[in-house]
Amino acid sequence: MRILTIACSLAALTAASPVYAQTLNVASAGDQNMVDYVKDYLGPLFEKSHPGVKVVSVGTGPGDAGSQKIYEKLDAQKGAGASDFDVVVIHQKAAGTMVKEGLLAKYTDKVDTAKLVSSETAKNALGSDVSGYVMPMFQSQTALAYNADMLKSPPNNFVELKEWVNKNPKQFGYNGIKGGMSGVAFVAGWVYAFGGDAGKLIAGPYDAAEKARWDKAFAELKDFNKNVVITPGNAGTLDMLNRGEIAMGPVWVDMFYSWQADGKLPPNMKLKLAAPGMPGQPMYYAVPEKSAQQKLASEFIALATSPQVQADGIVKKFNWYPGIDAKNLEGKLDKAAWDKLFTDITPTDLAANAKPFPIAPYFNDILEGYEKKVAN
Amino acid sequence: MSLSQRQLALLLIAPGLALVAALFLYPLCFSLISAFTDPDGGFSLQAFAKAYELYSGDIFFTVVIVVTSCALTALVAVAIAGTLTLGENPWIVGTLRALYRWPLFIPFIVAAQCMRTFLAKNGLMNNTFVSLGLMEPLQAVSYLDWRGIIATFVWKQTPFVALLLAGALAALDRATLEAGRNLGASRLRVLIELALPQVLPTLLVALVLSFVTMLSVLSVPMMVAGSQPTMLTVDMAFRINAYGDYATANALGVITYLISAGAAILYLRHGMTKETAS
Repeated sequence: MRILTIACSLAALTAASPVYAQTLNVASAGDQNMVDYVKDYLGPLFEKSHPGVKVVSVGTGPGDAGSQKIYEKLDAQKGAGASDFDVVVIHQKAAGTMVKEGLLAKYTDKVDTAKLVSSETAKNALGSDVSGYVMPMFQSQTALAYNADMLKSPPNNFVELKEWVNKNPKQFGYNGIKGGMSGVAFVAGWVYAFGGDAGKLIAGPYDAAEKARWDKAFAELKDFNKNVVITPGNAGTLDMLNRGEIAMGPVWVDMFYSWQADGKLPPNMKLKLAAPGMPGQPMYYAVPEKSAQQKLASEFIALATSPQVQADGIVKKFNWYPGIDAKNLEGKLDKAAWDKLFTDITPTDLAANAKPFPIAPYFNDILEGYEKKVAN
Repeated sequence: MSLSQRQLALLLIAPGLALVAALFLYPLCFSLISAFTDPDGGFSLQAFAKAYELYSGDIFFTVVIVVTSCALTALVAVAIAGTLTLGENPWIVGTLRALYRWPLFIPFIVAAQCMRTFLAKNGLMNNTFVSLGLMEPLQAVSYLDWRGIIATFVWKQTPFVALLLAGALAALDRATLEAGRNLGASRLRVLIELALPQVLPTLLVALVLSFVTMLSVLSVPMMVAGSQPTMLTVDMAFRINAYGDYATANALGVITYLISAGAAILYLRHGMTKETAS
């Protein structure tokens, strides 16, 4: 009798939940806004054009940590029949590792929109060849946010920044390297500026002796840190700017604009991309090798990288720079939305000073050098 | 076939034992082994050397934070529990009794988020002082550093310690306390010289548990303070997330075990003396 009751209630439960022919599992590394982007915008759009398909969006956490989780999951399921994820949204560092270990499928030749991407980052992720395996979801960029009321002419380069901080102690804040990528980007920018050859760090090849040449840069950064505020996280820097506790700090451009649009940052805040530049990074769409829904996954990514979705979703709604080449968005976007993205940082600034992160081994050397010579 | 008493007992504890083995002992051994293994698979102390080289400051910082927090927690908890037991003003005692347990129900991460805006330079606390005229705006300083971590820990752990302590104090024989009062001792003196020595074991246990809890919290140091210096939990997370380097993270874990082992020894020794006494 009891078994019958259980069986009946189980049957009722199954019947009550809506039946979908297919489920597409999308895992995003990154902040909550990226999970929301798939859940609230892209998922419903895809479900509309593919009746019977359900898109499930999960987040694995912000920063490289989130990508590391996706990597560990796919790695653990290497021997299994099918992976839990059908589409993954990952950072550059993890993308390189995952391609090398054969965890990703080569899919971009099946996607028409791949022709719309010409940026270097679609082929090269921090020194690893990833062409064919990834499509950029968007480009993101770090820059210095500053309070234009307190600071009429922001520093044009890192040397001027150093002088400004000396004259205005505790008015500059960043989040170190353990509290989010905007701080990491600032430290990378510092090494580009004072550590010798930035081009070599970006393009490779890797030379283990190179890091010995950063000692002076790190020693200066340690001095510099005495006059700055270490903030708790990416959002911590923005919070402090908002409350007027600091006048300048490195931020993600998309977070900056979103916060400003929400009224969480005053309108007198502006952005500056100081020379020789600070890093930005794309997020990649990729398909796990073991995904059981390869075709559906490619269709999903094709939609996500179509000019209309890039214009409405990526640029207008979330303030990211488009993942496909910007010229394909012409006519899809009103002028106001376009101008807003390029007011403070012009396309010329971006061309000159938007740098990629260093290739993975240099990247790790910079982080560890910072831990050894600056933080401890 | 009937099971003997002994077999039955073994059978009954088997599921619990299996759980402990699978979910605690196995990962513990795994992380211990990983901490002492070099990239080629041999035995090495390399991970510990790296942990010390990069995080010696953070190890010291962690110990200072946790010990200071424990000391302050003890102080505040004794004050609260003492007031609840020996207080004579029913209004004060009633209010305190109603209020003091609240932080128990608030998770660390929520507490940290509140403190982030409360303790900031232009945060709620400083703004309140400024608007009350107690402070000039220029005197405002940010407490979002080691002080913020300690404040959050003390705020969060005090009710737990006070709860245990107040229970123990309430169970004391009132006659001894009242005798003291009758002989003219002040309430403070009764608390310190008569009541506290009798409940010291409870206080110790509560503090040891708080010590271990605070040592393991990741959200508070991450959200309240900047990362230089920071607590070992943040370093462990960073080691894994940024480099995928489990060996050094596990070495830091072993160092954390050693720190908490110090507290655990106190706890066990106390349990032992109690058992031999009874």
